[in-house]
Formats: sequence, structure tokens, C-alpha cells
Amino acid sequence: MKRIVYILIAGCFFTSCVAVKEYEKVNLSDPDMNLSANKSSKFETSAQLYRESASGANGGKSGGGCGCN
Amino acid sequence: MKIFITILSLFFITISFAQKQSSDSTTAYKKRVLETIEIDFLSSYYTQDGDNAAVTGGIGTEELKDIASDIVISIPLNDDDILTINATVSAYTSASSSNLNPFDQSGASRGDDDDDKQSLNSKLASSVTGSPWVESTGASQKDVWINGNIAYSHSSDDRNKIWSANLNFANEYDYTSFGVGGSYSWLFNQKNTEFGVKGNAFFDTWNPKYPTELDSYLETNKNLNAGFFSPIDIIDQNGNITDKNGTTTWSPDKYSSIEDKSRNTFSLSLSFSQILSKNAQMSIFLDLVQQDGFLSSPLQRVYFGDRANFYVGNASSIPNYTSSSNRDVFQLADDIERLPNTRFKTPIGARFNYYINEFFVVKTYYRYYTDNWGVNAHTAEIEIPIKITDKFTLYPTYRYYTQTAVDYFAPFEENLSTQEFYTSDYDLSSFNANQYGLGLKYTDIFTKIHLRKLHMKSAEVRYNHYERNTGLTSNIISFGFQFQFE
Repeated sequence: MKRIVYILIAGCFFTSCVAVKEYEKVNLSDPDMNLSANKSSKFETSAQLYRESASGANGGKSGGGCGCN
Repeated sequence: MKIFITILSLFFITISFAQKQSSDSTTAYKKRVLETIEIDFLSSYYTQDGDNAAVTGGIGTEELKDIASDIVISIPLNDDDILTINATVSAYTSASSSNLNPFDQSGASRGDDDDDKQSLNSKLASSVTGSPWVESTGASQKDVWINGNIAYSHSSDDRNKIWSANLNFANEYDYTSFGVGGSYSWLFNQKNTEFGVKGNAFFDTWNPKYPTELDSYLETNKNLNAGFFSPIDIIDQNGNITDKNGTTTWSPDKYSSIEDKSRNTFSLSLSFSQILSKNAQMSIFLDLVQQDGFLSSPLQRVYFGDRANFYVGNASSIPNYTSSSNRDVFQLADDIERLPNTRFKTPIGARFNYYINEFFVVKTYYRYYTDNWGVNAHTAEIEIPIKITDKFTLYPTYRYYTQTAVDYFAPFEENLSTQEFYTSDYDLSSFNANQYGLGLKYTDIFTKIHLRKLHMKSAEVRYNHYERNTGLTSNIISFGFQFQFE
């Protein structure tokens, strides 16, 4: 697990030096390429928050403000 | 711990690196962050069923139905600022709320109302039955969760820095919550790289509801000839009526009501996004979450394996107590769930999206989660949007989830009274789950369909089926619409 995290972070640093120009971002701008969770999956995520112990690290809630775990 | 220190160190090193790069940003043209008011509607219908209800100690019906609606209004205040208002209402019926008082299947409430107890008192002992396999009916089984959130965000002129602040309120029959949060995002490297930091605090206050029999036990100062138990016989494991004045009757001496009714949650979230190529991008999220206060659910019963069992209802059904054929006998609880009053959660997640061609995109997500209650969990998710036409996209999805149990979990009748902490909530047990889903989205960038000033940008329907190896299954169907107000 630690190795995966280190590799991911190292990968991020190396690639951050390579910049894709604005005019080259057509495909990246596709709404389906969005890096956040789908707005329409809000209630699915909410159900998972109640039914599972794990939460967070998805841009959403990580506990509190609900009768969940 | 080393991982977190490494990540934090790299986070700040990269920020300093970014300062050198920030001058390359384009500032020649300043576009409005949001052109017009946008309104998002979302509704869902959720059902679930299973045989491990926490309210009845790890056995019993988990049947639940929920209808929820959500509206998000995003208002551009000027070129740079957006005000977002979000309101959610969720109305549900469930065994967990109704079986706080399982003894009246004809409509008594959660057991917190004096009228309900008097209503029960007026009945003959023989008519008072209950079962973990039968949802109590009437007003008790329904409840509403409401949530409101207001957020304000500001983008810098070069659109490379965004900060936001938000306030949150939530209310349900047994708690009220206030939340406050803020975030800061920083884009650099020609907007190829983004760092984000977010902080949130939730201050929840319980309005605790206890299982009827335990609530009455304390309310009458442990007098089983008064209150709820006054007209009711208590039966032992052999079906014999016990002497309520004797020493061999039900006596939940570990039970006490909760004193600290607060639950506080503080979270710090770090995020990092990176464009990898013209067709690929990824992000990493790390949350550090500290919770303190009453972290158990006061409505959830626990039965000890080292204590004698006592019942209310039909003695002949006791041998079939754990079978769903039991419709008329209920075991009296030994205590409510007890869990530590602090919890530290550490989830770390990553997304990777790849644009294959004009028809296919691959979206992936993975999360590793650990906390100091003994839970380790993995979540893996894949979605493959398929563009059928220029307006319709299909969304097949699959999600796998697995977790280990909290250190304090044991099934029905397997916790011991000598333990400090215990729960029979299967949401905290060891399990794995599979979720399969399909969605269909209609997108119209020209917003031709409109209702007066509401122009529809998109409409979406999603269905998901969830299966847990503990036997819990659920289904959810969601409908979403996005409008522009012009």
C-alpha cells in the first residue's frame, strides 16, 4: 500500500512539469472527464455513508451532520 | 504516519514550486465564472431490506424506504463570485425508528411519548406483543431529515485561486447539526495542476431516543410494577412468567442514559489534481477526520451472551425467536450500543479518468480507509460513459467495497457484559458489497427545451442495485435535472 502511494505521488511530481496547453484540453473538458463525483450520485453516496464504515476522500462528507457512522 | 508526513511535506514543497510557475498563467481574458443562474433538481427513491437490524440487536427486519429531493441554486453575484444554496429533504419509513417501540404493532410511537406509554398501559398484558421481524406501524415509523447549506465562493482574476466558505444545518428526530467550513484551491502550471485544502467542522447534538423497555426501566426507577411494565408479564427463556419483585427477572443494570449529548466532527481535506496528457487526468484526496462525543446510536439494542434472556409476548414463539416466522415475542434489551467517545478516520482516495475516444470515457476511483476503531476498508469503482448520440450518454457503473469489523462488533447474543464497548450494528461488521448501476443522460447544450425562463441543460436517470454478503440488499433510482435561468 505504501509503495502505491509513493509511486502515485512521485508520478504526480514528474508529470506536473509537462503542461497541456489550453487549446489542447478539448477532451479533458468533456463533462464526463470531471474529476469530482457525479452530482446525480449524491443520494447513492449518502446511502453508502449510512451503510458502510468508510467515508470521505471523495470530495464529499466524511462524517458528522447525519445519523451515520 | 510516515505516509501522511511525506504527503504533507510534498504538498508544501510543491506549493513553493508552484509560486515560481504561477507567473505563466493567462490573465488576458476574464470570463465570468458562472454565466447565468443554474438550478439542479435531484430526486431519488431508495428501498432496502435485510435481516440484521441494529435497533433489535443484530437480528430483525432492516426494511427501509426513503424518498429524497434536493435542489441546488447557483447564483453568479458578479464576474468572480458565486452564491450556492442547497436544500435537501428526505422522508423515510424504517424498522429502526419504528422498532424502538416494537410492542405495539397497531400504531404506538417511538416510545418517547407519554401518551404512547399510557396507551400501552391501558392494554391487557396478553395483547402486548412485538417482534424484531415486524415493523411497528403508525406514526412512529416515519421521519424526515432536512438539510440546508449555503456557500459563497470567490475566484481570483486569473481564475487560479478559489476560496469558499459554507454554513450547514441538518435536523432529524433525534439530532440537530450545525456545520461550518472553508476551502482554498490553487491552480498552476497552466492550470494543469491543482491543490486544494478544505476544513469542515460539524457540531451535532443528540436528542436521544432509547428503546422503550430501557427508557421505562430508568423512568420508573427500576420498578417493573410501574410504567410500561405495569400490566405486562415478563417471561424467561423457558416461557415461565417471572416474579417482577424477585431477583430472577429482567434487570439491565449496565444501562444508563447518555450524559454527553454532543458529537463533534473536524475534518481536514487535502486534494491534488494533475493533467497527465491530452486524454488523461487524475486526482488524489486525503482526509484527516477527528470525531469526539457520543459516537454510538442510542436507539440500537445490545444483547449479552452471558446474561439470562427475558421476553414480552407469546412464550411459545421463544424457540423461534431468531427466525422471521416469529411474529409475537420480543426479547428485552440488556443495554444500548456503547462505543468509544473518540474516533480518528483516515481515508485516502484517487481518481483516474481517461478519454478513449469520442464515444468512450473511463472513470475510475479507489479509496483506502482506516480508523482507530479497527476498520480497514477498500473501495473500487469504475464508470464507463458511452456516448450513444450527441445528446444521449449511457453510464454503466460497478463498485466493490470491503471492510473489516470494528473491534467492538459481535453478532446477536455474542457480546459480553464484561466488555466496555460493544455493538451488534452490521454496518460496523466485516463484509463486502457489490453495486451495479446504469444511468442515461440527455444533454442539450443549446437548452432548446424550456419552461418559461427555465431552460433545461440536462436530464438524467440512474438506477443502482447494492448487495452485501450479510444479506442486505438495496435499490435506488435517481432523477436529475439541470436548468439555466435566463
